[in-house]
Amino acid sequence: MSRIVVGLSGGVDSAVSASLLLEQGYDVEAIFMKNWEDDSEYCTVEQDYKDALQVCDILKIPLRSVNFAKEYWDKVFQHFLEEYKLGRTPNPDILCNSEIKFKEFLQYSIELGAKKIATGHYVRTKNINGETQLLKGLDPNKDQSYFLHTLNQNQLSQSLFPIGTLDKSEVRIHAEKKGFTNFNKKDSVGICFIGERNFKDFLKKYIPAKPGFIIDELSNVIGQHDGLMYHTIGQRKGLRIGGGNGQSTDAWYVLDKDIENNQLIVGQGIKNTRLYKKNLNASSIHWINNRKPEVDQLSAKIRYRAADSLCTITALSKTKITIHFEKPQFAIAKGQSVVFYNNEVCLGGAIITSSY
Amino acid sequence: MYYFDHSATTPINPLVLELMTEVQKNTYGNPSSIHSAGREAKIIIEKARQEIANAINAEPFQIYFTSGGTESNNHVLWSLVSIKNAHIITNVIEHPAILKVLEYLEPHGLKNTLINVDKNGLVNLKDLESQITKETRLVSIMFANNEIGTIQPLRKINKIIKGKNILFHTDAVQCLGKIKVDVKELDVDFLSLSAHKFHGPKGIGILYVKNKKDISSLIIGGSQEGGLRGGTENVASIAGAGLAAKLSVKNLKENSKKLKDLKTFFIKELISFFPKIIINGDLIDSLPGLVNISFPGFRSDILLAKLDRVNIAVSSGTACGAGDVKPSPVLSAIGLDIKLNLSSLRFSFGSTNTMAEVKILLKELKIILNI
Repeated sequence: MSRIVVGLSGGVDSAVSASLLLEQGYDVEAIFMKNWEDDSEYCTVEQDYKDALQVCDILKIPLRSVNFAKEYWDKVFQHFLEEYKLGRTPNPDILCNSEIKFKEFLQYSIELGAKKIATGHYVRTKNINGETQLLKGLDPNKDQSYFLHTLNQNQLSQSLFPIGTLDKSEVRIHAEKKGFTNFNKKDSVGICFIGERNFKDFLKKYIPAKPGFIIDELSNVIGQHDGLMYHTIGQRKGLRIGGGNGQSTDAWYVLDKDIENNQLIVGQGIKNTRLYKKNLNASSIHWINNRKPEVDQLSAKIRYRAADSLCTITALSKTKITIHFEKPQFAIAKGQSVVFYNNEVCLGGAIITSSY
Repeated sequence: MYYFDHSATTPINPLVLELMTEVQKNTYGNPSSIHSAGREAKIIIEKARQEIANAINAEPFQIYFTSGGTESNNHVLWSLVSIKNAHIITNVIEHPAILKVLEYLEPHGLKNTLINVDKNGLVNLKDLESQITKETRLVSIMFANNEIGTIQPLRKINKIIKGKNILFHTDAVQCLGKIKVDVKELDVDFLSLSAHKFHGPKGIGILYVKNKKDISSLIIGGSQEGGLRGGTENVASIAGAGLAAKLSVKNLKENSKKLKDLKTFFIKELISFFPKIIINGDLIDSLPGLVNISFPGFRSDILLAKLDRVNIAVSSGTACGAGDVKPSPVLSAIGLDIKLNLSSLRFSFGSTNTMAEVKILLKELKIILNI
């Protein structure tokens, strides 16, 4: 049976993926990827490695490690910092998939003699007319196609996603039955290399903060911010604006960032019209099957947890598109990805450059 | 399992295991107790101390048992913290059990200078001489390097520092049973050893101390080990270390020759089908069983994994917590670029290896290197 290399993170999803592949009769080997060097107390890499080792001990498969910290730093983290410096909200986990997991790791595994790689992502693939489609994971709460929308045919055709048909609860049950100690390990949230630490403290280590004023919609100065990079559109918490400053007792939201003047523009109430836009421009377009889709029901997500929303696309140029949503979208953030779907099929996506 | 990673650790000698099992089973007394059970344990420890002393030409009262080579090194370095403005000279390819300790102790007032090495890993003696100041209290230079096997000219170094009121320490963890370790000939003040590197148990090390007045306690508590290291002794492991040392120096000449023959054969055969290899380290002043080789165009972690698949154990770079391969600082120090650094494997043969095993290693390498 052909050899599959599973990327084992120490978490329950990849562990169960390895276990399922074994049950399907594959020759399975595991690789633990180390993409970040960090001695701080927030870094869980040693515990993650031990968890991975325990899983491999139960499954009787070899575990090896590979260090992609330099590649991650050069190709993902530098871009992440550049984007923050420009006041945007990048998504490094998407870049990590296309540049590290499904490029460096894939190449590495093939060099090791693997037929394909496997990961613990909640997505599925389907072959139709010689093309590999990327489908949403069946667990609606866990679907991760948003993070994998930049993969190409070559990458998808060499990848297996064994848990894409399962619910998270089923994955945990499988893990517990197998005796994996990580069966109830907390899901990782947020950006992988930041982990549980304070985002602000982390960013401050790499980018000098530029404090400035917070203004309301009428340009009244109502507070100060520690740096625009700590804020994103639609943010409500952490603004430190006193209650007496507003027209009402409604909560304050970030409406926009004025990069040029280093000002944070805020407004009151979640219904503030400036938080809702129907159109956005995007660049860095990627189509999974290399073609602009011709489908009747095109929808898109403007961030990971957003709902799919009906839209149409007009091409501005070869590299730029405009997306028109049927309904206004809450807090469209520059630097985030807009990802397109036709029902359960993920078609591709682009990076948001502006909205109106 | 075809095991060629004896510089990482060695399989335990069956006679050593037998002795340890017996001691663990039967000698449960606390060596500090006055009754016969205690005396029995004490006798075992002192016998082992004599065996170690014999193995390195020391006196038994100069032998102190520790938890390993790392502790032995730590003991010597920490001992200098109480001396005001103390300065230490060492070199860039020492083990982390020296370099990391010095890095840690620097803000505590212990200054250090790292001497560079040449492309073979040999310490630059002129540099060393020029870095000595009137505050220099210790020179610590390893006997043989753990990654490339280069043997340092300890006697020449000793000549340089003689008469300058400088103590001399050497980390000889890689050496016992492979080359002659004679503390009188080397004329060192401190020497570190680790039992699991010479077919003894893990978790037990030795520190040779020429004059006790030159060192202070590391672990404070009971009066064990002359008060330098409190805590009830690990009797069975100490017994094992003693016997392992005795056995490993007993056949030193034959052993050393065997290791050298295995290495010479391996290199010769490897070059015959893969002439592109680069040998890192000194070919002459080198440990008999160790060779570090770069395979240009290949990643060491891939080579390791493919060898591991066919049950062959070798090593690469510096091992760390998560099992990933990182560039070796030792190979960088001798001038390897990052690519070549990450193409390097260390083969370390042991006395239990056979020519037939080396042939299997060569056969598998040939397949993996696709020749």
